[in-house]
Amino acid sequence: MRKTHATTPQGLPSAEMQDRITALRGDVDRTLLAENLRRTVDERFRQLMELQRFADELKRAGRHASHDRF
Amino acid sequence: MTDFEGLLRALASRGVSFIIVGGAAATAHGSARLTQDLDLVYRRDDENLARLADALHELGAHLRGVPPGLPFRPDAPTLRHGLNFTLATRLGDLDLFGEIAGGGGYQDLEPHCDRIVVFGIPCLCLGIDKLILVKMAAGRPKDLEAVAELQILREERERHRD
Repeated sequence: MRKTHATTPQGLPSAEMQDRITALRGDVDRTLLAENLRRTVDERFRQLMELQRFADELKRAGRHASHDRF
Repeated sequence: MTDFEGLLRALASRGVSFIIVGGAAATAHGSARLTQDLDLVYRRDDENLARLADALHELGAHLRGVPPGLPFRPDAPTLRHGLNFTLATRLGDLDLFGEIAGGGGYQDLEPHCDRIVVFGIPCLCLGIDKLILVKMAAGRPKDLEAVAELQILREERERHRD
């Protein structure tokens, strides 16, 4: 049966969407979440900013690597 | 990098009424996902628009992802005539929403908020139940990944409450 709506009028997920979400739940790192739940809200935001800094550094390194190759 | 503390402080110190939504709200609830900007729903009454305009001026806000030189003055009339604004500021990227899909505006969302204190700043943060519904309404692949994580976070919180 073809489903055309992602959510029901009540905002609940369609069966198709919930199936996709259920499949994605297997990829979630529960250990990481347990660690986060032990942190304060301030610590969670500081951790996020650290992650941003790391992601920026990786991007920069990637740009240098591709530049160096050519 | 987005200075979440600086952005929240700049808005709160001017008395701007806002609700933290999106990835930053997910972070507050314990998400481990990377988000690059601060998403906020702002109240659209004249007084709040004037306060928000002051804060945006102080933050040097300009439109993000548009050709350089495109004129944008973040004042109250501009905010009144628009609804959603994708901005860059000197403290990082800031997305302002008058309304969000699946959630509506400030007044619609307020009853579904948690009162949190972050960096010593009292804020409204969209509650996890409504955040899940809003992410589902957005429905992009990355939103569904966030929903999967938020559902697990909600279960973990309920498990620890019992």
